[in-house]
Parts: sequence; structure tokens; C-alpha cells
Amino acid sequence: MDLGTAFAAGLQLDFANLPQQLVNGILLGSIYALIALGYTMVYGVLRLINFAHGEVFMLGAYMALFVSWWLGYSPTATTLGQSSWVNLLMMLVASMVVCAIIGMLIELFAYRPMRSQPRIASLITAIGVSLMLQYAGALFLPNSPPQPIREEINPYRNEVLQIPLKPRDTTFIEKIKVEEAEFNAAEAAVKARMETEGVKSEFDLSPEGRLLRETRNDERNDVTNMKSEYERSGVSLLIPYGQLIMFVTALALMLILRHIVMNTKPGRAMRAVSLDFDSASLMGVNVNRIVTLTFAIGSALAGAGAMMSATFLGLSLTTFFGVQPGVKAFVAAVLGGIGNIPGAVLGGLLMGVAETLVVWSGYGDYKDAIAFVILIAVLLFRPGGLLGSSKVEKV
Amino acid sequence: MKYWPTRVVSILAGLGACFLISAAADASGNDYTKRLVVLAGVWVILSVSLNLINGITGQFSIGHAAFWQVGAYSAGIISVQHYANSGITGLPWLLLMMVAGAIFAALAGLVVGLPSLRLRGDYLAIVTLGFGEIIRIIVQNQKPLGEAYGMNVSPKFQFTWLVWLTAFAAIAICRNLLKSAHGLPFLAVREDEVAASAMGVNVTRVKVTAFLIGSALAGVAGALFAHYEGFISPQQFRMEQSFIILTMVVLGGTGSITGSVLAAVALFYLPEKLRDMGPVTGGQLLAGTFATVLAVYLVKRVIDHFHGTKKEAAIRHLGIVLGCMALSFVLSIVLNQVPVLASARYEAEKLRMVIFSGVLIILMLVRPQGLLGHAEFSWEWLKRVLGQRRSEAAQTS
Repeated sequence: MDLGTAFAAGLQLDFANLPQQLVNGILLGSIYALIALGYTMVYGVLRLINFAHGEVFMLGAYMALFVSWWLGYSPTATTLGQSSWVNLLMMLVASMVVCAIIGMLIELFAYRPMRSQPRIASLITAIGVSLMLQYAGALFLPNSPPQPIREEINPYRNEVLQIPLKPRDTTFIEKIKVEEAEFNAAEAAVKARMETEGVKSEFDLSPEGRLLRETRNDERNDVTNMKSEYERSGVSLLIPYGQLIMFVTALALMLILRHIVMNTKPGRAMRAVSLDFDSASLMGVNVNRIVTLTFAIGSALAGAGAMMSATFLGLSLTTFFGVQPGVKAFVAAVLGGIGNIPGAVLGGLLMGVAETLVVWSGYGDYKDAIAFVILIAVLLFRPGGLLGSSKVEKV
Repeated sequence: MKYWPTRVVSILAGLGACFLISAAADASGNDYTKRLVVLAGVWVILSVSLNLINGITGQFSIGHAAFWQVGAYSAGIISVQHYANSGITGLPWLLLMMVAGAIFAALAGLVVGLPSLRLRGDYLAIVTLGFGEIIRIIVQNQKPLGEAYGMNVSPKFQFTWLVWLTAFAAIAICRNLLKSAHGLPFLAVREDEVAASAMGVNVTRVKVTAFLIGSALAGVAGALFAHYEGFISPQQFRMEQSFIILTMVVLGGTGSITGSVLAAVALFYLPEKLRDMGPVTGGQLLAGTFATVLAVYLVKRVIDHFHGTKKEAAIRHLGIVLGCMALSFVLSIVLNQVPVLASARYEAEKLRMVIFSGVLIILMLVRPQGLLGHAEFSWEWLKRVLGQRRSEAAQTS
């Protein structure tokens, strides 16, 4: 047996489930894309990996949690009113605003004084800020036990969008009817024997009774098998409404971002700064203001992603909530070509799909490792990323 | 000074210090103290070995705990499976395991080092971080390695002197490399890769060598750690540990071996002191934070705008630090009058990582080259300091 077949034998691949997993991956990827945009924008203007971006994401999720408490959905509340989309919107806006402010503050106090220093100094500061937010946050924020946002805040939690991809095989309906009839007959036989023998319970140890019961059980198994086979013969996608809203909102935010970057004056300035920092400042661009704006926009996107992932994916919050999404989104940004905005979106979606595929193939334990494997592969074979230019940086 | 006498004196001083440390640890008769001394030695090895990669060669690696872990687990699993039927006992076996740990960690270093050659500083940082995580995740999913629960390493070998001897050996390796012609390419790569390669330095080889030596030393530390503790788990090699090693190197001065050693010992004992300190009230925490921020702001102002002599600047720095300490003391008393702040309690031990990250940020703001910069301890320096002292004494008398 060669390695390929051994590998395939170890995998329990359920191909009927694949489309669903791809959709899940894209939904998850939309969150990664939102975070990746922040990384890529900051890298574009400052050539700095903003390590603290994942922590901004974490703080955004906490802000959403606090707003949900303020709206009456605290963990101790017993009578909960009917939620509405207004609540969700309030959480979203609050997270985005708070994250934007935090992002600007981090830039102002930690990164701006470092701008004249070598890049490594900025990088160490970024790591320091990231660790500081994680561990100082753990002192003051509700951290253990991990806090989930109550799912009751989501008015659409019970609604699921169902898209049939392949209709079910109708020939099974007849077969099920036949099996059910057989089962009913067997069941009736058991009942009849119980009445004739006068046994109250089913613990009839005589050989005839046992035989009848076994036949009945076999028939019951046949029915359930047939039914599940019937269900599996058709494929349909299930998307919870919440996650659909998440995806649409993320898409809308990306379009707004595109509009800002491509069609407005600050957006043009931002592109100028990312092309050449010094020349842009000579051309009259207020570089500091543009950098602040970049941090504000990137952090607000992370805040939106944080609120939506905490609310619609039902994740519990700790102060390390941002570490894994942050790292994965960074990889997504590199995968798409860091500094490249469409690249970040593409990378985010691919990252989400890659992660769900790893889980789907039965290697769920390694789902956090796939990000780094992708990262190393990208850096080795296409250092510029998928959409980036792969020119070697000369000193 | 003459060459050979200095070398002999240095080696003897190193050996003497190592056995003195060991004797002192044994004399305490306290297992806890002894363990602290041993672990301090392990951290010194880790810090010095990362300094070789980060400080001396200038390759920003932040996943050093991964190599430590590779060393610990490879030595541990070999010991568990082969010690009984090897026929080797005691010290020779441990030495063998140290070599094994070094080899496996160096292989891991090679795996990281080779692809990272093409990467600039910040990408390399992420790759090493990622590699550390991959190692941890792989170990966590291996049955023979005890998965996430950890594994027992038997037999235990607890030689305090050996740990410190290894630490001194690590220091000697780095120091000799730095002072010899073989080390100059490392410094050249740190200062300017392009210029170095133009001068005929094989940049690739230098980087890989740095990664190999650095990770091998970390692997030795891992083997010693595993056999001293007798139990290892993936929890002991988290990302957090990599950041702690990084903080040690950065604090000591990137490139200064002396700095790495001092910072490793200081930062290793800090959490132990914090553990003894007990809880801190909200008032104290707030006052301390405020005073620290104020001190950093003022020191930064002096650095940026003061143009006096070094001595005058130093006096100002000292004044600011002492003033802010006094302020924090007074402020903590005032703030503790507020009932909410006085009743809030924070375990000092939990402040550990907050302090480490604060150290990183403050250091970058105030003194990016680290406390010692590129300065090193040397006999000439000692002679100069003692000479000054003597001449001052002669003048006053």
C-alpha cells in the first residue's frame, strides 16, 4: 500500500457534506477577511505588522458583550424580552466605534513614537501592546468562566435558510412505506403475543418471544436506515439566518471600504501614503492624520467582525479570544498579498475554507496549524501573495 | 593583558562560579530553592541561545520555546523508551540525552532556518511564532508523548552543577564566536545584510549556522529541563514562554551576552518575588500604573530634549525614577482611601505577564537597544573600573 492510499484510507471523507462545509468556510472566511483588511491596510501605510490587531478584535467582542448586558441580556437575567435587529445594530455600532478609538490610541501612544526607530523596535512594541492587552485585560474583564453573548439577543436564531442542491431520491418513499408496513406487522405480532401470554412487560424470555422481538427490532433498524438513506440522497445547504446576516454585513462593509479607498479624498491620500510615505508627505498629505484614519477604519472593521462572530457563531469570550483569529487573519493578508485590499478579502475567504476543509477531513485537531502551514508555503513559493507583486525588496 | 593567563582565569572563574552556585543550592537543603537555581540556569541557556539568533545575528525569531520543547520531548521520549535496556546509567546517559536533544532541536532549527532565509524581519517573526505553535499542536496530538496531559520522564537526573556548567558553556560558545573571526560575519549580517553579502559573507550560511547553534543550545536546555523536572507537558512550552525569553534578550540588550544573562536571572526571579508579595489593592495598582506612565513620559522628554553631559542626564533619570516611586507610594495611600479601590484585590502573580509586556513597551520607547546595548563584561572593563576606584581613593587620601 503506497502512502497515497494509506492517507485516503485514514480519511473519512463525506462528499455529500462538502458543499455545506465550503459554504461554512466562506461564512467564516468573511470574518477573517474583515480582520485581514485591518492588517493589510496598516501594513500598506506603515510597513508594520500590527500584532495588537487581534486584541482590538477581542476588545470589540467584549464591547458587544457589555452592550448586550446593558440591553438586558445579562447572564443573570431570567425574563428576556423579544429582541430585535435594533439591538444587533447597536452592538455593531458600539463595537466599531470603540475599536476605532482603541486603534487610534494604540497608534498614537505606542506606534507613533517608534516611527523613527528601526522596524524591529516597532515590531517589539506591537508584541508588547498585544501581550499587555491580553494579560491586563484578563485582570479587569470578565474572563473566567468564558462569557458567551446570550443567543437570545439574536432574533433570527431559530431561522435557517435551506437551499436544496439535489432533490431527494423519491424512489425511497415507496421503499420506506414497505419497510414501515413490515415493521408494523412485526410490532403487532409482539403485541399480540404479549396479550395472549398475558405478559405485561416486554421481558419475555421464551424463544418464540425473543424471536419476535428481534424481528421487530431488525425491522425498526431497516426503517431508520432507509429514512437516513433517503435524507442523504438529497443535498441541501443549511445557513442560519444570523450567519447570513454576518456575511452580508461583512460584504457591505467591504464595499463601503472600497468606496472610501477608491473614490474619496482621504482614500486617495491613503493610497498615496501606501505607495510612498515620504513623497506623500512632501505632496501635502497630512500623513499623521491618514495613518490615524487607517488605524480607525481597520480597527472598526475588526470590531464589526468581532461583534458578529461573538454573536452569530456563539463563541465564548476570554481575553485570548483574538489570538487565533488574529493570526489566521494575518496569514490571510499574507496569502492575498499584504498591502493589497482585494487580496485580503480573497485570502480571508480561502483561509476560512481551508480551515473548514481540515476539520471536514477529520483532522480537526490540526485546524490551528493549517494557518501556519499555508503561511510558510506562501512565503516559500509566492512571497508576494496571490494578488501581490512578488518583487524582491531592495535596500 | 596577556592572552593565556586571561583565558585560564576566565575558565577557572566560570568553573568556580558554577560549582559555587551548585554548592550554595545544595547547602540550602531546600528543594524549592534548589529548583529555582536550576531553572534560572535553564533560562540563562535559553536567553543566551536566543541572543545568538536575535541579538548577534539580527534574525528576529520569537518562537524559541519550540526548540526548547523539541529538545525536552525528544530527550524525554528516548529516556523513557531506551534507558532500561541501554546499559548506560547516570551522568553519561544524561550527557547522551543532552546531545540527542541538541541534535533534534538543531534539526528543527534547520527546518525553520532554511525557509526563513528568504524572509525579512517581521515575516520571520511570524514564521517562527507559527512554527512554535505547529510543534506544540503536533506534540499535543501524539499518544506516546502524552498528548495534552504531558508525560513523565524517568529516570530523573538532578545535577545542579551540570545545568550551570552548560549555561557557562553556552556563554563561552557565544562569547568565543563573537570575539573570533568566525563571529564577525554574524555581526556583519546583523548590521547590513546587503553590505555583508557584498563583502563576501555567505549570508545564508551564517543565518543557518546561527539557527543551528541557537536551537541546539535550546535543545540541550530542554533535555536538562525534562530530566530535572521528571514531567513535561505542552503547557510548559506555550507562546508565552517564547515571549518571556524574547523579553529577556531585549531587556538585556540585543547582542549583549552579559545583558541576556543578567536579564534572564532577573526576570526569572521576578515572578517568584511577585508570588511572595501577595495581592495588590486597586489603589496600589492604579498608582503604580500612573507613576510608571509619568516616569516613562518624563524620561522620554529628557532623552529627546536634554542636551547635557551623560552624567547630568543620568542624574535627571534617577531623580525622575525616585520621584515617581515616591509619588506612587503617596498616591497609593491616597487612592486606597477610596473604598472601591481599597477593596479590589489583584494577585501580584497575575501581574507577571503585564509587567513583562510593559517592560517591552517601555524599553522600546526609552532605550530600544536594551539596558546594556552592545556592551559586554570583560576583564579590561573590570580593571578599568577598579583602577578608577583606586585612583579616586588615592586622590582623596
